[in-house]
Amino acid sequence: MNTVIPDVALIDNSDERAPLVLVLDCSGSMQEESKIQLLNDGLKTLAADLRADPIAARCGRVLVISFGGDANVEIMGEWTDAMDFTPPELLAGGLTPLGAAMRCALDEVESQKSEMRAAGVSYKRPIVMLLSDGEPTDDWRQIAADCKSAETAHKVNIMAIGIGDKANKETLAQFSNKGALSLNGLKFKELFIWLSRSIRAVSRAPAGGKVQLNPVDSWAQLST
Amino acid sequence: MWRVFSASTTGKRNLDEGAGGQDASHWIVTGDRIVAVVCDGAGSVREGRAGSDFMTRALAEELERSLQQHALAAVIAVDPGSGLESTIRGAVETVRARLADLADARGLALHEFSCTLVGCVASPAGGCFFHIGDGFAIQQTPAGDSVLSQPENGEYADETYFVTDENWQTHLRLTTLPACERGAVIGLMSDGTAPFAVNRARTGFFRPFIDPIAAFLRADSAPNGNEALRNLLESPRACEISADDKTLLLAFVC
Repeated sequence: MNTVIPDVALIDNSDERAPLVLVLDCSGSMQEESKIQLLNDGLKTLAADLRADPIAARCGRVLVISFGGDANVEIMGEWTDAMDFTPPELLAGGLTPLGAAMRCALDEVESQKSEMRAAGVSYKRPIVMLLSDGEPTDDWRQIAADCKSAETAHKVNIMAIGIGDKANKETLAQFSNKGALSLNGLKFKELFIWLSRSIRAVSRAPAGGKVQLNPVDSWAQLST
Repeated sequence: MWRVFSASTTGKRNLDEGAGGQDASHWIVTGDRIVAVVCDGAGSVREGRAGSDFMTRALAEELERSLQQHALAAVIAVDPGSGLESTIRGAVETVRARLADLADARGLALHEFSCTLVGCVASPAGGCFFHIGDGFAIQQTPAGDSVLSQPENGEYADETYFVTDENWQTHLRLTTLPACERGAVIGLMSDGTAPFAVNRARTGFFRPFIDPIAAFLRADSAPNGNEALRNLLESPRACEISADDKTLLLAFVC
């Protein structure tokens, strides 16, 4: 049986957006073990995986913030729909101004939310993913507290992830109420595929509730 | 007087993950009255589908039983404190408590059965929608006017309210329906269906969507009608627009 109702037109009102800010450590130590190259490759995987799914390509909104160099925080381009997201080529060198980068991320999230609200666009809770292989070289404590407060106020979902043995997981854990996770080996690709799938998710959670993460065992080091 | 069709399909996301659909629907027609319920189980909990299955069936049955008991055959309005409002609140409370017992017996918390709720009680004199969380309910009159119950999300599109929430009473919304004349249609849908079935202004059905469906289903027989509705929800175009589970229940006044 294959009964088809003829002449039905479907409108497409699916305007939902899923904002994602990637806050990426580009300090000098990221040159070691080809980490920066693996990170760049991971970003390409993310872009391709989002584009491969028509709905993820349409709903994802991506912004990359890098930190490194001479205490530089750089917003790499503008907020971009996932279908148009072309990863920047990141270069490693210099310091680790992690606090300033996270301040920038929180500000960007709020201004993006304002823009979407003004445009009448619905959106998911924004994700800020922080990736670092070291520890901050700037004044980070107040911004870390602000990050936790923003999470408590359900403004954002922050994921703080340490790369390699030298990442100061204790410090990174101060940026999220969920603590910090460690990348297992250098599984950037698995991490970014997980991230892409998280953005695609359609499941609904209780309003104002805690964020529930998909299982992270594909990329996270579960015991330290 | 009612011809009712309903279909629920599993969205691509759940299919990809090997999970079943979380939506369910159930309806009861007694004389000229219909009680219909659609629920969307939360994907973020263990037993969302069990919650939606239980809630649709048990709530429709409990409501029908209460309406008969209180002789509310002709439902007209849902003024605060009216018999209909208290009947609906009471039925939701009763069924929610039974679900809590069921959860308890399995050693689970009630929130593990989280589901949204969108339903209607209607007869020729009128009726009402009852609604917690997202999804849509629409009554379209023969003249094309619409009464809607809109989704309620939190700030975020991926968060909503559930009948299993502690504060469900705060989020239970009732909408009075005018008389259900011949030619009217009532639609209940989960949030996976709304993006392609509701017009852009969110003031009613997207007419190029509902008009051909209404013409077809009013003329067709019920088994084929449900299958046709299912095929529509599973069509490539529908799946391009939403990867979520999709339910559409349509009740035509004939």
